[in-house]
Amino acid sequence: MDTARTNSVDSHDRTQHYDVLRELGDCYTSVGDYGQAQRCYEKAASLGPDEPGPYIGLGVASLQTGKLDDAEIAFRVACRLDPKCAKAYAGLAMVAQQQQDFPQAFDLYMKSLELDTDSITALLGLFQVSCEMGSFARVIHYLEVYLEMHPGDPSVMYALSALYLKDGRPQQARDVLRNLLTLEPGNQDAANLLEEVEHVLAEAR
Amino acid sequence: MSATRRPPSARARNDGPLVSVLLPTHNRRRYLGEALASVLRQTHQHLEIFVVRDGGQEVADVVDSFQDARVIFIDRKENRGKPYSLNEALSQARGKYIAYLDDDDVYYPHHVETLVKALEAQTECKVAYSDLYKTSCEVLPGGSRVPLSKHVEISRDFDRFLMLYFNHVLHVSLMHRRELLDKTGLYNEDLKILIDWDMTRRLAFFSDFHHVSVVTGEYYSPVGESDRISFQRRKDSQEYTRNLLTIRTTRPAKPWSKIGDLSVILLTDRVSNRTADTMLRIWRHTFYPYKLYVPLPPAEISRLNVDMPHVELVPVAPVSSMAERVDTALQRSEGDYVAIVPESLAVEEMWVENPLYALINSAGRDGVLLEGATAQSWAAVLRRSDLEQARRSYPHLSVDASLAASGIRTRRPQEEELPFQFDELLRQARAAEADGNWVTAARIFECMGERHQNALWMKTMAAHAYFKAGDRARAESLSREINRERPTVDTLLLEARMQRRKGDFDAAIHLLGRAEQVLGPDPVCPVHSAGSLCATQAESFQR
Repeated sequence: MDTARTNSVDSHDRTQHYDVLRELGDCYTSVGDYGQAQRCYEKAASLGPDEPGPYIGLGVASLQTGKLDDAEIAFRVACRLDPKCAKAYAGLAMVAQQQQDFPQAFDLYMKSLELDTDSITALLGLFQVSCEMGSFARVIHYLEVYLEMHPGDPSVMYALSALYLKDGRPQQARDVLRNLLTLEPGNQDAANLLEEVEHVLAEAR
Repeated sequence: MSATRRPPSARARNDGPLVSVLLPTHNRRRYLGEALASVLRQTHQHLEIFVVRDGGQEVADVVDSFQDARVIFIDRKENRGKPYSLNEALSQARGKYIAYLDDDDVYYPHHVETLVKALEAQTECKVAYSDLYKTSCEVLPGGSRVPLSKHVEISRDFDRFLMLYFNHVLHVSLMHRRELLDKTGLYNEDLKILIDWDMTRRLAFFSDFHHVSVVTGEYYSPVGESDRISFQRRKDSQEYTRNLLTIRTTRPAKPWSKIGDLSVILLTDRVSNRTADTMLRIWRHTFYPYKLYVPLPPAEISRLNVDMPHVELVPVAPVSSMAERVDTALQRSEGDYVAIVPESLAVEEMWVENPLYALINSAGRDGVLLEGATAQSWAAVLRRSDLEQARRSYPHLSVDASLAASGIRTRRPQEEELPFQFDELLRQARAAEADGNWVTAARIFECMGERHQNALWMKTMAAHAYFKAGDRARAESLSREINRERPTVDTLLLEARMQRRKGDFDAAIHLLGRAEQVLGPDPVCPVHSAGSLCATQAESFQR
């Protein structure tokens, strides 16, 4: 056909079908329909065999349905396709965490954070694993750095204040919680934790 | 030799006008069945379908497998080319309307009905066209095609001036009255490429085109090297230029109901290399239909070796003035518009189209100067009637003086009077996009949609630009408007992304499901219900 090409033709000439399936898989995951999500991700993987995204999605869907072996395989494929894929390492960490292998999970979350310092999944995972392991110094550092870059993130503020308390730093915990409650006066979890912190501080006096 | 197989008795399916669908085929046996099936699935059933085998692979078994009385098979062993094949079918076509399909493309079931309705509703418009998806696909070793994307790549409202310059209508999306061919003539069998444009350009001499902004089919584009004949042949730049010039200088038989003819009068004292060069440049750089008149004394005419189309050498007295030469040429010419051009004028792209477009769209009694015109080298384009009146009234004056004396002002064109304003703005918007100035690009697109036709297309571009700019509210409202009017895979995906960001996953799934159904052929069912406790965690992971 001989015509002037007038409308936009983007680089996603090759990726549009892939994008639709990937988005659809993510949406199904979000509403908890992991069977549909898996079908979409598998089709997306066939259209974009070099893309780690569908394997991340497959890993998440398997994780949510308790198929830890399948999840691990999917995340490892994603790692192989993109060795710098922070999400793939976070996924492997989640698998290790569910397998109660906390030291391994800790290392993998750290690897994920090295690749993407903004990864909220890795940060919160690290927080959970640290609580299990009772070692807080490194994760506190990461949460502090994250909050410097993303001030006012309530989930991280809450996690950091909890870690401060566990690490014997109730005054810092109180400061963070007061800031959090200024931002979100209705945050009941934060209010409860602040009450606990005030109690600890009162006892110390 | 070709053999035509017309079925002995056609079943009566004659609701509405008869439409002749022309489907030439050459060595695409694998896809022909799909193409033909898409025609036979049309909701408008009053059809005659000409499948023309233009040599190459045997396809009789493919055609016969449909057992449909509406299919007329022209089976020819020799490869004579697409224009020949189309003409062969047209010589037998009886339909009120003619439609086209390539052997690797498909119609959606409402294609013919959509265009017939448009043409029957707007009878002054004898040509209509719709939009098509360009399906980028990967071709697997066995030949099957896996769709990677479906974009509406071309959705441009009809613009006659643009059509004279280049094609903006996909031939597969075109339908026209058969009777128009009596005026345009048949397909030019000497052309190797740009065959479709040659016909649409000629159609534009006689009718407006009605653009129906509905997607009614698909044309396939394998990623990587295209196997299309036109694509391969375009690589030969000499042949491309030859075909381009042939098309641009094609003048269908008169009268033309939609285009005013242009007579170019080239003025020179004597024939020189410069004369030949200017004539050549006019030939190469003029896309508006014209005829060139060169008034010269007979002795000079004999020195000029003309090998160009539409040139008339006009004998004048050896000692005639330039005004007298113009008068003589004017008597011989027949254009509605007349350009007077000294041979010293620099003839570049748009040299005459810019001022001519300003003149055509001007209401006043005026002429428009050509770029590079000076007092010594006067050059302008004028309405024939104005020029004739001036010359009749003041034959003793020079041409410019006679115009002035007649109250006909000659002026330079204003920037906003020039053609292709839309394309210039589009260029600016795309430059803004390339620089990452998404808000600027979006505003230009919106402004273009309001002032320069192509509203839906511009709205789509604006929605994408606002999305990139982070103005989600505007992007969402625009994409919702577009999807109500004419949803496409791109716009459904855009709106779905916005809904997902808002956390309305069910709405996003519904939109993506519609997109996936278009992308088929094995769509994922979009029906679904909501949530689980893991949803937020999973969503944060995917962000």
